Amino acid sequence: MSQDRVYEVLFVADPNLGEPEVDALTTLVQGYIEKEGGRIQKVEKWGKKRLAYLVGKHREGSYVLMTVEGGVALVKEVERRIRVTDGIIRFITVRVDEELRKAERRRARRAVVESKRKVRPRPPVEDVEEVEL
Amino acid sequence: MSGFGGGGGGGGRSFGGGKDRGKPGAGRGGAAGAKDGGKRYFFRRRKVCKFCADKIDYVDYKDVKLLSGFVPERGKILPRRMFGTCAEHQRKVTLAIKRARAIALLPFASE
Repeated sequence: MSQDRVYEVLFVADPNLGEPEVDALTTLVQGYIEKEGGRIQKVEKWGKKRLAYLVGKHREGSYVLMTVEGGVALVKEVERRIRVTDGIIRFITVRVDEELRKAERRRARRAVVESKRKVRPRPPVEDVEEVEL
Repeated sequence: MSGFGGGGGGGGRSFGGGKDRGKPGAGRGGAAGAKDGGKRYFFRRRKVCKFCADKIDYVDYKDVKLLSGFVPERGKILPRRMFGTCAEHQRKVTLAIKRARAIALLPFASE
C-alpha cells in the first residue's frame, strides 16, 4: 500500500517499573498499534538510560523503540492513547520512511558515480605509459 | 525557543562581515590572520564535512554518540563554522538534535 508510512515510536517508561512491567507496557502499546491496523516491524528495548534532564522528578528511564508501519490516523490515535497511559513519561513519533528512502537513493547514486569514476581515468594513463615505453 | 534565538544572534555577531558567509572555513582563517597582523593559525580546521566524508546519509536522532559531538556541555548546538559541516548536513544534525532533546537523550541549553 502506497499510503502506509513507516514510523518510529520511541517511549520512555518510568524507571521505577521493573522489567516485567516495562514488557507489559510494551505489549500494551503494541496492542494500541495493532488495533489501529498498524504493523510492527521491530521492537527494541534499550533498557534503563540516564536522562539528559529531569523529566517529572525522574533521572533515568527505560527506553523502548518500535518501528511501525501504518497510516496517518494510526499515529493520532496511538499518541492519544500513549498520552493517557500511566508509566510512560516521554514519547516521540518520527516518520522515517521518506528520509530513509532518500538516504537509500543517495547511496545508490553515489555507488553509480564512484563506479564511473574508477573506470574513466584509467585508459589515458595506460596510453601515456605505452608512449613512453 | 529563546535559547535558540540568543545563540543564533551571538553567532551572527561574532561572524562579522557578510563576505565571510560564503566560505566559513576560509573566511574565519583570514579574519584571524588580519587581527593578529600575521600568519597565525589557532588550529587547523577540518574543511570537509564529516558527514560527507563518512558518507552518512541519514542522521539518526537516536545516535547519541554521534550527536553529542555537536552539543557541548552547555547543550547548545555547535555552529557550522566550528565543525565545517556542509549546510545540508548541519540542517539534518540540527533536526536530529532537536528530536533527541524531546525524548531526553540530549540536554536543552542548561545552567
